[in-house]
Amino acid sequence: MDYLARKYLRPRKIPSTACSGCGLGINHKAVVQAIYELGLEVEDVVWGTSIGCAGRQTFGTWKGDGFAGTHGRVYAIARGLRLALPPEKKIILTVGDGDAFGIGLLHLIHAARCNADLTVIVNDNLGYMSTGGQYGWTTPYGSKTDSSPYGMFEQNLMSEGMDVLNILRYAGATFLARHVSMDGYRVVESIKKGIQNRGFSLIHIIYPCPTNFGSRELGTRSPLKIYKWIESKAAPLGEEKEETLWATGIYYDASNSRPEFSETIRKNIERIRRSTAA
Amino acid sequence: MKVRTEILASGFGGQGVVRLGQIIGEAAVKEGYRVTMLKSHGTEMRGGYVRSQVVISKEPIDSPIVENPDIFAALSLAAYNSFKHLVTRGIILYDPAFVVEIDDTLTCRQKPVPAKDLSVQNFGRPVFANTIMLGAISRHLDVLNRDTVLESILHVIPKFHEENKRAFEIGYSLFNGKG
Amino acid sequence: MKRYLETGNFAITEGAILAGCRFFAGYPITPATEIAEAMSRRLPQVGGIYLQGEDECAALHLCIGASLGGYKAMTATSGPGYILYADPYGWAIGCEIPLVILNSGRVGPVSGITGAPGQGEFYLTRYPTQGGNYETIVLAPNSAQEAMAITVEAFYLSERFRTPVTVLADQLITDGFEDISVPENEDEMKDMGFRIWPRKINRGPNFYPPTDEIDIPPVVLGHNTGALCSDWTPTEEGYDIEEVEAHHKHAHRLIYKIRNHRELFSHLHEKKFMDDDPDLIVVSYGTPSRVVNTAVARARQEGLKVGALRLINLWPFPDEHFQKRNKYLVVELNWDGQLVREVQRAAGKDSEVHFTGCCGELPTVNDLIEIFEKILKGQPLARKGWQLEEW
Repeated sequence: MDYLARKYLRPRKIPSTACSGCGLGINHKAVVQAIYELGLEVEDVVWGTSIGCAGRQTFGTWKGDGFAGTHGRVYAIARGLRLALPPEKKIILTVGDGDAFGIGLLHLIHAARCNADLTVIVNDNLGYMSTGGQYGWTTPYGSKTDSSPYGMFEQNLMSEGMDVLNILRYAGATFLARHVSMDGYRVVESIKKGIQNRGFSLIHIIYPCPTNFGSRELGTRSPLKIYKWIESKAAPLGEEKEETLWATGIYYDASNSRPEFSETIRKNIERIRRSTAA
Repeated sequence: MKVRTEILASGFGGQGVVRLGQIIGEAAVKEGYRVTMLKSHGTEMRGGYVRSQVVISKEPIDSPIVENPDIFAALSLAAYNSFKHLVTRGIILYDPAFVVEIDDTLTCRQKPVPAKDLSVQNFGRPVFANTIMLGAISRHLDVLNRDTVLESILHVIPKFHEENKRAFEIGYSLFNGKG
Repeated sequence: MKRYLETGNFAITEGAILAGCRFFAGYPITPATEIAEAMSRRLPQVGGIYLQGEDECAALHLCIGASLGGYKAMTATSGPGYILYADPYGWAIGCEIPLVILNSGRVGPVSGITGAPGQGEFYLTRYPTQGGNYETIVLAPNSAQEAMAITVEAFYLSERFRTPVTVLADQLITDGFEDISVPENEDEMKDMGFRIWPRKINRGPNFYPPTDEIDIPPVVLGHNTGALCSDWTPTEEGYDIEEVEAHHKHAHRLIYKIRNHRELFSHLHEKKFMDDDPDLIVVSYGTPSRVVNTAVARARQEGLKVGALRLINLWPFPDEHFQKRNKYLVVELNWDGQLVREVQRAAGKDSEVHFTGCCGELPTVNDLIEIFEKILKGQPLARKGWQLEEW
């Protein structure tokens, strides 16, 4: 990452303060790689983050302008900002699963509803890991966490055939993908597509947390073991097996098919302004 | 002119009580007065009546509350009973179609304005009752020119200009002189 | 100058537009809905944006985003919506984001009575979010015309102090009609005392300098200044840091940039019959003050030596008005007494501080005069069967 890091990231924030073996860095690198491959410069991107491991570890890493919202609210802030920034500026958000699918789900749905041009990277460590490891809205059924010591038995957004991406798709999102960190270049490709969609894009990436999820559910902090475990539960869309928890790849691509939020607002305001001008 | 003139109108929803206050208020603004007009309405408040409180003054108005109305237009029995005791030196103009029971013990002047019935008689429907009441109010309101009030009616109610002019005249000519 | 018979909602909307507000995000709530409606009608006419949030929390976050992008932004609500601002309000205080927030007070707690005026948020506006370590600016007009002026002033102060400013009104101001004069050009605005401060852009690199100075431009994103803003304690550059010393510097700035510039608020009060050292000073803010003014004027005619002090700037609290030993009566639109606590604190033990409250409707002139008389005669207070609190 040296060249990319020098070009795009702030030296003060490298190396990150993430736990050893944390998979977040892989996702972070994939985002930067995608930005690089699209030929974007530091000034082309405003980078927003959330609360939790994913938010805090990525905040202030981007050399350009950056912000971190309160828990779950960054989608509303970003939507306001979207209206103020010129359309060519990209807004990329790196957030966590609790932020996006729990406390922020209402705001996320409304960002999808109006097809706001945002690229949301949901880095999913399968629960609330920065607070020590409690179950979240995508934690696999039966998983032991500090708040599900008998195994997670509550219905969630990834159980009983439910999928949080279905909600977002029918709420109006125009690009949706799911990956695990180990998907390698396929992750970069999906992020690139997401950024290129002038509308609401969300890339959901499962990543390994050895410190909390690994130690509670898998009984090990060995990065190798949790990486293998996640890989074994993932399969490309259409190639799912019985044990597959995460079907990976582009889940839904309707890029540039719906009017974008800020464009719609600007167009209508211009129309009203002209028609009401004395 | 005295320091402030207070007008209270009250009835139930749909009678145009707020609009009535607005029309008087607008006329007063047109004549260069300072004006306040509070509206309270909704079933959540005070048993479901609607109330407009208008204060007109040459000077900036401190309290916008009508505590001793010069004119009280009572458009329902509930409104009449709620506010009749506020009137000491002023006059109560009531619509006998709604205010069916008059309190004889009051010392203030009270005059019936059969606005609803007159509207039905003259126009075949009750919707001009409000304008008839405004005519009656205007007759008793020495601070405002009657033409300004009429102008405001026509401004606030964009439809039925001819009918509203006639209705205003009907209400105005119910009484002789300034009450 | 154009004159209208219009509501406070109208006046506030026009004031915001005159101040340069071009972004409003709202959420329907009585009695502030009509501001949102007026904004949705007026803003597009001047090239501005009206948005409806999915809730009040989102509405203020949308405003934050817009302000971060360079807009002068505003939202409006009533008590039940104001509490949902707690989250974004704190963020905006910490990141020093200029915003204007209108709260039209109704009767609480919770939904209470929707269509009646109340003053239950005197302390809530001082502490609109958690964590402490900040000072807030709160202004309270008492008429629709003044609400326009105060809205303009709120935008002015929010830019200079780079902080959210709350305008605390009530249902009678926002819903009530009044004759309202709207200036039509800059000269008329100046004549009415309207001050405008343009949005400037902070170029960094020290976005959060540890100083009590004002007039430091706020963070604006999208200009590649390298600006950072977050919910965490910032370093001077905006990096998140968990360090007590950095926090102390930040807190010091958030508190003293406001406390050390009280001269910007000192004109925001009104005194009537206060020149001859009155025997009783009646303290109030918002619409009750209008009844107080009438009552005090009438009491003077009746020979009672009473004066009226109206606060327009509520926070930072203007202690300077209460330095002299005196008898005070605080009149509020609540039954629990909020402003009175602050007056009691500021006035000190030697002064005598009384309270009379009501809620949902204004006190009457006659009731107030009766209370003035009783206090001046040293008689116990009682009204409508309520035993008044001894303060």
